[in-house]
Amino acid sequence: MSPLSSPGDKHTTHFGYQEVPVDEKASRVADVFHSVAARYDVMNDLMSFGIHRLWKRLTIERSGVRPGHSVLDIAGGTGDLTLKFSRMVGPRGHVVLADINESMLRVGRDKLLDNGVGGNVEYVQANAECLPFPDNTFDCITIAFGLRNVTDKASALRSMTRALKPGGRVLVLEFSKPVNPLLSKAYDEYSFRLLPRMGQMVAGDADSYRYLAESIRMHPDQETLQEMMEAAGLERVEYTNLTGGIVALHRGIKL
Amino acid sequence: MTLTPTLLLAGIERTLNALLARDPAAPARLARLSGNRVLLRLARPELSLAIHFHPAGLDLLRPQEDTDDAFDAVVELNAETLGELLGDESIERLMFQGKLSVRGHVHLLEATRDLLLDLDLDWEGELARWLGDVPAHSLAEGLRRATRWGRRAHGEMRSDIAEYVFEEAKLLPGKHQLENLRDHLTELEMTTDRLEARLARLRRQLQREASPR
Repeated sequence: MSPLSSPGDKHTTHFGYQEVPVDEKASRVADVFHSVAARYDVMNDLMSFGIHRLWKRLTIERSGVRPGHSVLDIAGGTGDLTLKFSRMVGPRGHVVLADINESMLRVGRDKLLDNGVGGNVEYVQANAECLPFPDNTFDCITIAFGLRNVTDKASALRSMTRALKPGGRVLVLEFSKPVNPLLSKAYDEYSFRLLPRMGQMVAGDADSYRYLAESIRMHPDQETLQEMMEAAGLERVEYTNLTGGIVALHRGIKL
Repeated sequence: MTLTPTLLLAGIERTLNALLARDPAAPARLARLSGNRVLLRLARPELSLAIHFHPAGLDLLRPQEDTDDAFDAVVELNAETLGELLGDESIERLMFQGKLSVRGHVHLLEATRDLLLDLDLDWEGELARWLGDVPAHSLAEGLRRATRWGRRAHGEMRSDIAEYVFEEAKLLPGKHQLENLRDHLTELEMTTDRLEARLARLRRQLQREASPR
């Protein structure tokens, strides 16, 4: 079943491999992230063998952010991207760290404050589907490992495009479909067998990490996401496969 | 493959920031540089590197389609010149020789080089955090003594070997003997050239006299 056009799209959506009422998905995703927030960074390092830091670095390099720019980091979680962006935009620019989940936002804020980041960063609890910002506000909008948790991805992409200044760029870093069948097989074994066990051992929560693996499989592949970004009004949309397509970085520009 | 340069840069950035964090003089230098962006563009091998300074260190990034005006200084050089620059060669001399081009704030290049070359790491302080003041001082003192002994022993060994090879066993000629030999060889070469020219002239003369009129 396609995540874009499932039968009964109006009433149900997927939550991992389960079908749940649309109204319920946000709260169930919230529960997952309330559960893992405190150990989110440790788990990310363990699960990706630290490679998630390189994926995020590449996102920052492709962002083209300069001093004085306004940046929105949606689903910013524990603030990895915001930390770098706040240095890059300098005191004349500003960065908004947005997350729908209060626990994640609190962990991110504490981490950034501990790293001496303060003056040019704002924290906003917001739903990506209806961003509470005026039109044409940001020079760059990023969403790293967050889009697959959004109930209505098309709305979220439209909302981002609306809040983006003309000439600005949206970057979506998200798990995708491995391009090599062998890698795909190994990746499946890893995500469905090893990952929930690691989640149980480190974060004491196997279900959340099972959801993570399932939600990745239900997320649109590279070409579908590219089409969705173009449908949202972004142009020159392109993507780069990272680590054999396990993750893809999509970039689109608002003209 | 996309991630290999990113991994390398991340490693270099992490190492530099860890070293800067151990230098007591670095925060003041970084405060002066903070907020500045320097673009380093290497001609051979072709490579661009953006350095963003912040109060806690620096960020190294590969610029994508940034134009030069996004940077406070743009430095263009090749790998050889980069080596000379890090070897404390004068920036002005390299610029006059045409090996180095700097646009924007030239002083940023000098400040960046000073920041990296004048790193004064407080290893003893760092050791004291782990071992305590007295053991750390004893260990550091021991290492300093071992280093001094190593340098002295190295110098003495070089001089002893040179004395044996050049003076006692006379296995190789000394510097002055070599220069003397080179002068003699140069003189011999010039004399041979002159003799060759004279012989050629005599040959031509003989050919002219032998030829029927």
